[in-house]
Amino acid sequence: MGKVVGIDLGTTNSLVAYVRDGEPRVIRDSSGDALVPSVVSLGDDGTVFVGREAQRRLLISPSRTVYSVKRFMGRGIDDVKDEAALLPFGVSGEAGGVVRIGVGDREFTPPEISAFVLRELKQRAEEHFREQGEFDFEVDRAVITVPAYFNDAQRTATRDAGRLAGLEVLRIISEPTAASLAYGLDKKNRGTIAVYDLGGGTFDISILKVEDGVFQALATSGDTHLGGDDIDRVLIELVLREIGGVPHAGAGGSREQDPPHAAPAETIQAIRKAVIQAKWDLSDHQEAEIRVEPQAGLPKGYRRAITREEFEAMIRPLVDRTLGPVRQALSDAGLEPNDIDEIVLVGGATRTPLVHRLVAELFGKTPHSDLNPDEVVALGAAVQADILVSGRREMLLLDVTPLSLGIETIGGVVSKIIMRNSTIPASGREMYTTSVDNQTSVDIHVLQGERELVADCRSLARFKLRGIPPMPAGLPRVEVRFQIDANGILSVGARELRTSIEQSIEVKPSYGLTDQEVERMLIESFEHAQADFDARLLIEARNEGETVINATEKSLRRPDFAEITGGELTKDELAQIERALADLKHVMAGTERETIHEKTHALNHATRHLAEVMMNRSVREALAGRNVKDI
Amino acid sequence: MTPDAIPVSPVSTLECRSCGAGAPVDEHFCPQCSRILALGRHGDYFTFFGLPRKLTIAQDDLDRRFRELSRKFHPDYYYNASPAERLASLERSSYLNDAYRALRTPATRIEHLLAIEGLPSTKSEGETSAAKVPPALLEEVFELNEELDEIREQRESGADLAALASRLDAARAPIERKREEHERQIEALSAQWDSQAETGTPAERRAALEALRETLLERNYINNLLAAIDREAAGIGLQSSVSGLQSEDPPKTVDRRP
Repeated sequence: MGKVVGIDLGTTNSLVAYVRDGEPRVIRDSSGDALVPSVVSLGDDGTVFVGREAQRRLLISPSRTVYSVKRFMGRGIDDVKDEAALLPFGVSGEAGGVVRIGVGDREFTPPEISAFVLRELKQRAEEHFREQGEFDFEVDRAVITVPAYFNDAQRTATRDAGRLAGLEVLRIISEPTAASLAYGLDKKNRGTIAVYDLGGGTFDISILKVEDGVFQALATSGDTHLGGDDIDRVLIELVLREIGGVPHAGAGGSREQDPPHAAPAETIQAIRKAVIQAKWDLSDHQEAEIRVEPQAGLPKGYRRAITREEFEAMIRPLVDRTLGPVRQALSDAGLEPNDIDEIVLVGGATRTPLVHRLVAELFGKTPHSDLNPDEVVALGAAVQADILVSGRREMLLLDVTPLSLGIETIGGVVSKIIMRNSTIPASGREMYTTSVDNQTSVDIHVLQGERELVADCRSLARFKLRGIPPMPAGLPRVEVRFQIDANGILSVGARELRTSIEQSIEVKPSYGLTDQEVERMLIESFEHAQADFDARLLIEARNEGETVINATEKSLRRPDFAEITGGELTKDELAQIERALADLKHVMAGTERETIHEKTHALNHATRHLAEVMMNRSVREALAGRNVKDI
Repeated sequence: MTPDAIPVSPVSTLECRSCGAGAPVDEHFCPQCSRILALGRHGDYFTFFGLPRKLTIAQDDLDRRFRELSRKFHPDYYYNASPAERLASLERSSYLNDAYRALRTPATRIEHLLAIEGLPSTKSEGETSAAKVPPALLEEVFELNEELDEIREQRESGADLAALASRLDAARAPIERKREEHERQIEALSAQWDSQAETGTPAERRAALEALRETLLERNYINNLLAAIDREAAGIGLQSSVSGLQSEDPPKTVDRRP
């Protein structure tokens, strides 16, 4: 058996964690970074880049680089039209079907894009275990987190992504409950916890009761389309408004109708990068600068000072939108804000001082922030994974289904079968009969949502119930059983009670992939495995090159560098270093791994003497003024 | 979920799918091999929790039993078990959760009791004969409907909203009083059932259940009236604290035409 991990598959960033010696820990790369940007980019030659490398390519190849794909998981094109317009990559799909993302000449579904990110995390974990000297380093199983408010289709899409990445998905758990597990580890005490989770693209609030190590979710609510991305968007729109002319080359007057995002994709990405930096700066400072360097789409560049006050006024409406779900969850749990004993903040966007302040005001308590809000969900997922495979029983997570489940009845009205905030697993049943003589099949439409009318709820699936024994109308008694499992995913079973005949059910998920589609994608992903492997080697070569470039440039900036070139280092050697440095920089952006390797090696070689000189100097400095005796 | 969907069990013994031994229908684990048993056609949430068929339940005790049984049944702990045990774990956990939901609040607890004692559900009656006003409420319902009609008319002709709001509050008061009265009645009837559960004659028990059912029906009706007042309040623009949500959720008007 291979290793088991917990994965936080985020809108903006993803992480992987595992438990060792009862202690959950996130897996970092060699530079100590735990976050893998949830960005996937397709090179011109078909190589797939994931993470930091793909993020860099946002600036140079935006139309071939996909981000925030979590927003499209389990959704149809009609759901996402508006926001797709703001994205530089192509989003399409048939009405009533799965969203398709066009990158170059290839087309992907959101689970396929997510699978690239998951595969990257899997590889990162495997490398980590290998480095630790583990004999059995393969990662084959995972617990993956989703926003608490994800519906059935979104959860299923996430599970499909895991399968496509070659992982057995042990469990889908909700992010806030995962976070509470990470916090509850060393606290055996009882109490009521509110988890406020404002991530890159989604907002969740969950209220949990903890007693005897049982973490029981009481209520959950949220908004699957509200997060840090929206804060960025407010700022991007501000910049686009202020640079005005860009999207309107030659457009006469009708500014209102022209979307401001008609600016070139490269420019949008440069602006996006700049505003995110400013947003971060504003978490620690009262004032920051949004600074976009001059470039093709924006010849003069852009600079603007922004105060925290200004920023908070702009994003206040967004943050206020979280308060509705918070009140809803409290009221569903039958609690008042001051009944909450502890508040846990999750998600990078909760670093924004305004969010912190509003949450503290609402509950009248200071929220916890002892764990890194970016890492706490992955840690909790690792704990849950450990519970599942180790059989340890001191903790148990009881989650709820966020949305009511129902079926369509006469007149387009939804009849609810399992109510929202029911502890899962949960089940429900409904009796059916026939309306004409000798009818042998019945159509069933399953919906999720709180509204009364079919049109206002989310269509999950249509079932055809077959094999009903021919009988006069109204005589058959078909019991349809709905089962929501511990993942929050629905399955359906049916039986004719008079004859005890099990019915066969044909499922057509409204916004998901069929099993056959998943199978096909699995085969395709094997076909692309070689290209993906090449991409990985290229990234490694680039990282290595970058390390050497940085080290070299750092030594060239040393205060005593002039002294070195005047003494130990010859003019010739310096010229060689500079040439090798320029050579390497030149090939870095290319995709020829061997060349990058070669030039890296050359620079390493050219700087060998310089490194020795610097080493000697450091030793001399360290020893200066000390007695031989002290050494 | 409608309580009448719960089949009352005709099964008296279970067969353990792991070792084939027979087990009493109320057991959760096989007495022979101690593996988790598949759920029989059970139907009685009280015995599932190991509780007597009584309406007074200490919340703490119920919560504690729920957590203990969750720890015994939850699929988390059957990940490495046989498929039969995994299925049994899923079924028992679901059933436990359903049972806990039903027993947690007094109204649903009474509903369940009525169902397993063979009385028709109050829910289904509420739906099929919505127009039938419980006789005890005739006077209140008549007055309230008149008042609501008038308020609606005035609102449409542009009357002062603040004045309408206070009229609505005034209309609400007697209904609220009725509700409190019914809460007390239900408590008294519940206590009566509990005391007769062991000593009462079948006729006394039946009478207690009928009285409970009647009161519950009235209470459901009162809740519907209060909901109607809330809808009217929303129409006036009296937003409660969850204003952000109400804007997404307009007053529920259901088109029931076929």
